Amino acid sequence: MNIYEFQKQLFEKGKQYGFSEMEVFYSSNKSTTVSVRNEEVVDYKIAEVLGLSFRGMYMDKLGYSYSENISEESVDYILKEALENAQVIEAQDDEELFESIERYGSVNAYAEILANLPVETMIESALQMEKTALQADDRVKQVLECNVSKSVYEVAIINTRGLNCHSKSSSANAVVYVMASEGDQAATGFYYDFTLTDFARLDVNHIAKTAVAEAVSKLGAVSLPSGSYPIIFRYDTATTLLSALVSNLSGENVEKGLSKLQHKLNEKIAGSKIDIFEDPLMVGAPGATTFDAEGFPTRKTTLIKSGTLLSFLHNRKTAKKFGAQSTGNASKHSYRSTIAVGPHNVYLKPGRRSVDELVQSSEEGIFIIELHGTHAGINSVSGDFSLYAGGFLIENGNLTKPVNQITVSGNIFDLMNNVDELANDLKIRGNITAPSIKVNRLDISGQ
Amino acid sequence: MLSQVLIEKMLNAALETGGDFAEVFVEDKTNSTLNMVGGVLEKAVAGRDFGIGVRILKGSFCVYAYTNDFTEENLIKVARSAAQGIRGKKQDMVLNLLKSEKINVHNIEIPNYGVGKKEKVEWLRRAHIAAKEYDPVITQTNMTYSDSIQHVLIANTDGILVEDTRSRNMMNFLAVASSGSNMETGYLNPGFFGGLEHIQNLDIESHAKEVARSAKTILNADFAPSGKFPVIIDNAFGGVLFHEACGHGLEATCVADNASVFSGKLGEYIASPLVSAYDDGTISNKWGSENVDDEGMPSQRNVLIEKGILKGYMIDKIGSRKMGMAPTGSARRESYRYSPTSRMTNTFIAAGDSKPEDIISNTEFGVFAKYMGGGSVNPATGEYNFSVSEGYMIRDGKLEEPIKGAALIGDGMDTLKKIDMVGDNLDYGCGLCGATSGNIPVTVGQPMLRVSELTVGGR
Repeated sequence: MNIYEFQKQLFEKGKQYGFSEMEVFYSSNKSTTVSVRNEEVVDYKIAEVLGLSFRGMYMDKLGYSYSENISEESVDYILKEALENAQVIEAQDDEELFESIERYGSVNAYAEILANLPVETMIESALQMEKTALQADDRVKQVLECNVSKSVYEVAIINTRGLNCHSKSSSANAVVYVMASEGDQAATGFYYDFTLTDFARLDVNHIAKTAVAEAVSKLGAVSLPSGSYPIIFRYDTATTLLSALVSNLSGENVEKGLSKLQHKLNEKIAGSKIDIFEDPLMVGAPGATTFDAEGFPTRKTTLIKSGTLLSFLHNRKTAKKFGAQSTGNASKHSYRSTIAVGPHNVYLKPGRRSVDELVQSSEEGIFIIELHGTHAGINSVSGDFSLYAGGFLIENGNLTKPVNQITVSGNIFDLMNNVDELANDLKIRGNITAPSIKVNRLDISGQ
Repeated sequence: MLSQVLIEKMLNAALETGGDFAEVFVEDKTNSTLNMVGGVLEKAVAGRDFGIGVRILKGSFCVYAYTNDFTEENLIKVARSAAQGIRGKKQDMVLNLLKSEKINVHNIEIPNYGVGKKEKVEWLRRAHIAAKEYDPVITQTNMTYSDSIQHVLIANTDGILVEDTRSRNMMNFLAVASSGSNMETGYLNPGFFGGLEHIQNLDIESHAKEVARSAKTILNADFAPSGKFPVIIDNAFGGVLFHEACGHGLEATCVADNASVFSGKLGEYIASPLVSAYDDGTISNKWGSENVDDEGMPSQRNVLIEKGILKGYMIDKIGSRKMGMAPTGSARRESYRYSPTSRMTNTFIAAGDSKPEDIISNTEFGVFAKYMGGGSVNPATGEYNFSVSEGYMIRDGKLEEPIKGAALIGDGMDTLKKIDMVGDNLDYGCGLCGATSGNIPVTVGQPMLRVSELTVGGR
């Protein structure tokens, strides 16, 4: 059934159920992924997923429900569940639906050429990527994962207050994960890249070589004596740590007492080198969008300026509680979720020098390129972390030997106060991105 | 869910280009979640997942397609477009679907919809009150109740046609303890494969008090020390050690491609002779149990390790083709959005002979890990990590001050070989395991164990 027909039917019947206001959030994602192994396609996946979430106002409470079954037989299920949910909600939020506004920014996120990318091209590229990886170094024994995918994502939000917004975006990416071995030691390397505009811009040879270089460079790794060392976190591991900080910037977490930054607005919470922005209108950012999950227009927000906390991320509900304006950060992980708060494109402002220069100017330290166990090893509330890490020992400005079987521990808030320097290697890769950062001593546990 | 005629049409369309096996997976699942923060019901959401997946194999090449548009016209189109991924000639294959009797080995007394939302909200309120009243240091609570009923239909060209109903429910208890700018959390999440009788019989107050006690203990704890120590891991969710250090490496997903440190090691000693381990999807009403796996094969009890010797792997259909070994009822997937692969169900280390108090009193100096967070592993190298949320120092055979924030890291096989005491108190914990085929409910379990030496990362 056509989504707009379904929505009309839903709203009409919803009135009979007693809903005074109603909204649907619809999304669809169409993607194709090909994986290759040993010069053959081993996996080919075609995905078409769509679903609709409903929220309806009943006696001043918003009840939520959703369905992937968009047919007449779901109408009563959706309305009945939303009604029952509205009846048990106790939060006094005065949550209400957003009216339409005239002006939204613009991000050009849809590329016809990507949406129509032929599967043959994807297969050829994946095969090429595997070949390059296997030829790049004798020590690469296996390409564990090698795939290319493309997807088209659409969202529409329609409500009884006149809101009707729609967006469409596309992307393609290439992923490679290799294993190298020497003697009885094995090491893995991973790299991926994406494009939002033109598949020809994806350099699969570069992706393959980067993953191989990483795997090979880790061979011969040893643990280190426990102690405290200066640390450079490469961009990807720095991003992991930044994510823990960003969850404390969520107005929702602050309101629920799950943020250490509660009551810290306009206070200095990080070193003066730290500037953090949310920029949902940035061209080329994967998370770029002109409206949030409530249909509220997005805009650039300065969250932290020279270490001073200037703003939390808000949706309309949390903003109201803080007497602030929504920052356009209503998020909905998918149609299955209720409205929450989340980043679109939060980034840590980069510095001037390259990460190589940061290494060269370090007498000693550890360059960390992998962190594991982050879902449990970082306490996002307290900011304490203790994580499995791997990387390289730095001696007199050189990366001397690979290191594994160590843990690095500290506190994310302390760390943000102790940043010595930020590198210039910021490349926006997701909803949260950091450049490489160099910090004062942290505790390492090893031998 | 779908007529047998339509399923046969889809399977035939899927085989048009030379596939040697095709499968249809239909899922209709209703979910409901209630979330209470600080005693106030903040979120209530319910919904219905509905989708259909088609899988076509040729040897170990797999094409998978799925859709939520279940009109006949679209389903045939999806099956055909998936078939385009296979470029061969149609083989002779006679389709003969044999509908199996419902296999239901798990008792479900009260269905998830058999209790109103208001009563479910009261469960959360009881949890909140018990945690909040435990101690003034408890500043926040976050309690969630969720349930789901998943109906699946699995049909394939081997002749299988199975329908199954998976009913699950879970409560998540979380308490936050604060003092000054310090904040720590304690959590537990008991869950069941079965009906609501399990939640009704659950001692909600004692679970709530336990997470409050844990949060308070961690709040007052010191950071763990760094270095190598004997480590005692408590029973139940401590089994996440085995899940990470070894379980993932025994899944055909990586074993078949020689991408596991356990590949080619059947019959060899890979663990201390004190260790026997199983993956058993048949245990009555356990969170990770299933009647049939997601390829339609009955769940079974699989011996993984017997007295230290590697006895078996967890194998799905593709793994079975690659390895030349029979599947073990281990194919699992989060939903129709994932092609199935070999995964764990209820994985545990069997009980040993030692009394828990003897394990502690026999340890002169070390770390006792009471509660674990989660962890992860790189099956290719065997390197794993997991975090200790609540721990204690052991001195002269006695539990001393609490510690927090420790990461335990190591190499799977090395750790299994260093297990030198195994308790007699096997118990289980629940979790969600994320891997190639999505997030699936799993149970981990073990008795109390001692590892003679492990790297503890504290500060």
